[in-house]
Amino acid sequence: MNRNVFDKTVLERWRPTLVYVVGLHAYMLMLTAVYPTFRRMLETKAELFKDYPKALLQLFGVQSIDTASFSNYITIELLGFVWVIIIAAYVIAFARQMVAGEVHDGTLELLMAQPVARWKLLTSEGLALLGGIAVLVVSTVFGIIAYGAIFASGTGLNYSGCAAFIPVGISLAAAVAGYSVLFSVLFNDPRRAVMASVGLTLFFYLLHFAASYSGVLEKIDWFGIFHYYNPLKVLDSGRVPVKSVLVLLAFAAVGFGASVWFFQRKDLK
Amino acid sequence: MPHSVIRTASLTKKYGRVVGVSGLDLEVESGEVFGFLGPNGAGKTTAIRLLMGMLRPTAGRAEVFGLDTWRQSVAVREKVGYLPGDAALYDRMTGEQHVRFVASFSAARGVEDNGRALAERLELDLGRKVGDCSKGMRQKLAIVLAIMKMPPLLIMDEPTNALDPRAQKLLYDILNELRGEQTTVLFSSHNLPEVERIADRVGILRSGNLAGTKRIEDLREMRLRNVEVIFEGGVPGGIGLESIPGVSDVTRLGNRISLKLKGDINPLLKAVARYDVADFSVAHASLADAFLEFYAPAGHAGDDAGGGGP
Repeated sequence: MNRNVFDKTVLERWRPTLVYVVGLHAYMLMLTAVYPTFRRMLETKAELFKDYPKALLQLFGVQSIDTASFSNYITIELLGFVWVIIIAAYVIAFARQMVAGEVHDGTLELLMAQPVARWKLLTSEGLALLGGIAVLVVSTVFGIIAYGAIFASGTGLNYSGCAAFIPVGISLAAAVAGYSVLFSVLFNDPRRAVMASVGLTLFFYLLHFAASYSGVLEKIDWFGIFHYYNPLKVLDSGRVPVKSVLVLLAFAAVGFGASVWFFQRKDLK
Repeated sequence: MPHSVIRTASLTKKYGRVVGVSGLDLEVESGEVFGFLGPNGAGKTTAIRLLMGMLRPTAGRAEVFGLDTWRQSVAVREKVGYLPGDAALYDRMTGEQHVRFVASFSAARGVEDNGRALAERLELDLGRKVGDCSKGMRQKLAIVLAIMKMPPLLIMDEPTNALDPRAQKLLYDILNELRGEQTTVLFSSHNLPEVERIADRVGILRSGNLAGTKRIEDLREMRLRNVEVIFEGGVPGGIGLESIPGVSDVTRLGNRISLKLKGDINPLLKAVARYDVADFSVAHASLADAFLEFYAPAGHAGDDAGGGGP
């Protein structure tokens, strides 16, 4: 790793990261503030939820229907879908800028004029991205705990479950980062890099959704990242699903390793 | 004793069927200021990026200070200050932050102070964000970033792009001082007066090929002269100036003859002196004319065409 490149990347990205954190907290605050009202409403309409298709509930990461549960509520409204979109958007935008964006802006030439090896350059920026992911995930967990304590006290929020979500959230985002950085290296056009990253993320998500309908797709789902992401189970059990985290980190490692391999050989036009 | 700082052998870069650089053989010696001339698309930037290790050669090799520019690119870049052709910087960072960032890669002392001194000399405000700077100011900052570590080799792609005449002169002064400190400089340009002003030697690229290298004084010597002779009482019949070596484009108008002369002027003087001459004027053609003459289609290239040392 090169400290100078890492510091430069942090300097360039701390503002967008802050915007994401503020936006995320505004959304979480709104969600938890309306939770008491929703809870009363959901209790009266619990039967309605029971009629929801199983696959749709799985799409939002919900297996059991306990409408009174804050964990369920936060999974449906945040961690199962919206949070994934927010974190994927952050990661893809960050990764886009790492190589394709710098090539497009012409700034990669300034970086490449410095005596730093390509793999160090990419690794340093990758670590800055990992730092940004950690900030977003920890910030999310902090928000769930803090706003939950204010608006949803006594609803059985599992603090160890929240803590267990940190490695799961980080590893999911790192997996998205792995292939997003790879696309950023492969494509000089940042739009193509973003389209490829969004497309693959969407594919994995829809595959996971469709897997509950088909036995064949269920097997293929093992190759998608969302098969290893079950926020409700983590929040309720309070345990880190080590195997899932390791698989997601393997996705990240393969993607990033391929990125370094291609970047080492890439012509910088 | 001068030694080669840059050496390329059959250096070739192809993008599919498109040839960027083809069979480039070039040597630039220590302390030399070498100008790469050629129109847009001639391969100047590709050659420079090959030297900086940003492109992988399709064939041949390039060495800087004896180091392979692709395989040992980090070591090469430790010794080289580089100004890209279309210098792009980080819009959100100030000039000062850029100076600190680039200086942080150098182990040498006083690099940041050098940067600030150079900026002051180029009348550049380092406190402004790059996004708020004009193109000329960005170019000045990019020049500061390239030079401030005082590298033994400076590679500059179109260094005076977007610079006003005053800033150009300041840059020429800085480059002349660096020449005095035995810094080797390779720069590309299509601005002939600029090359004439700062280069010791020039290489001319044409469609990815090195048409030839020339010392600037040799180019000057082979300059064209525009000659006009006014005769008393009209142009003598059978004067036969066209047959004199180096004479071309002879035109007659009344009692005057105008022509172009390349090379030795004495045969022309002797031929004209046999008649009554009312006036004789010689105007030196610009280096641009000499370049255009030199840059004629293949087969008319310079004496030491194909590159090599001086």
